[in-house]
Amino acid sequence: MAEIVGALGVPHTPFFPSLVEREGPECETAKLFRKVTVEMESMRPDLIVMFDTDHLNTFFLDNLPVFAIGVADTFKGPNDEPRSVPVYTIKSRPDVAAHIRGAAVHAGFDVAMSQQFTVDHSVVVPLHFMTPKMHIPVIPIFVSGHIPPLPSARRCYELGAVVRKAVERWPDKLRVVVMGSGSFSLEVFGPRIAPGKSDGVPDPAWVTRVCKLLEQGDTQTLIQEATESQLLRAGNVGGELLDWIAMLGTIGGGRPNFVTPQMEQGHAYAAWNGG
Amino acid sequence: MSVFAVNYLCRELLRDHAFRAAMKSDPASALAKCDLTAEEREALLAGDVASLYRMGTNAFLMGYLARFEVCGLTMPLYSERIRTAA
Repeated sequence: MAEIVGALGVPHTPFFPSLVEREGPECETAKLFRKVTVEMESMRPDLIVMFDTDHLNTFFLDNLPVFAIGVADTFKGPNDEPRSVPVYTIKSRPDVAAHIRGAAVHAGFDVAMSQQFTVDHSVVVPLHFMTPKMHIPVIPIFVSGHIPPLPSARRCYELGAVVRKAVERWPDKLRVVVMGSGSFSLEVFGPRIAPGKSDGVPDPAWVTRVCKLLEQGDTQTLIQEATESQLLRAGNVGGELLDWIAMLGTIGGGRPNFVTPQMEQGHAYAAWNGG
Repeated sequence: MSVFAVNYLCRELLRDHAFRAAMKSDPASALAKCDLTAEEREALLAGDVASLYRMGTNAFLMGYLARFEVCGLTMPLYSERIRTAA
């Protein structure tokens, strides 16, 4: 029987690989990624399922699914040239991915599917730090968290719960770690960026609030407060919190092992044991 | 819906390195092939990202104009201009 052995929340800031290359292994970002990597390794995963929001690089405005899953033997990325990141070939598990999609559709989630796709920094940057050998297969599940209308936080949480049930019905032994990739408050290239910079954190109070609710394991309050207007107020990538909320759905919420914010970036690193 | 064409060509800046080089050396010629309104073409050539944003151009895609420094844009100049659209 397959099982979800843990869950991780991570950022995917595209300039982190070049920053860590420049500042070395003792800089804050390198240490924080090591901290989540140690957690991940202790969970001994055979498979990673990653909830991710693409930045119009995997999908585009010609065809933009609200939910989608990658069903392929392998996929490549990043496709958007973040500095200091090679283009990796990432293994996947199309059999498990197709099984998850089937379970989701039968549960009322009309999840789109792609059998040939590339991914951007939002999938690859965390993997670049955490599994640079790309030895663990990854199934990406895409949540449309940037371009309104956004799916509701409740819907994303329930999708996570459906993914958990699907994993638990997979007949073979498989240790699955679920990751949520994204920021809580961040504006990228939009009007609310900081002077001279390409990004900014429009709603630091929301980052503090999200971290507090995560720490308390109060997922239901988080879901209630993560309305579309709140997510959009938190920046044009504020909806990436939905990836974390979907991830929480796979473990039924609960208290984390840790939540460590990087306030000036509007995001955090966190880990939960499987429920 | 021709703002789709603006969004599309912004992403082509990332994907099509020949187009990127053409936009860096002679943006007016590079854009001649694109199906744009006069207003869109003018805003692009002027690096007027606040107007492009108001027309509905996606911010991440428009960011490639600054990242690859086309149409006279640099990151500080982009930041200064897009912030006026707030």
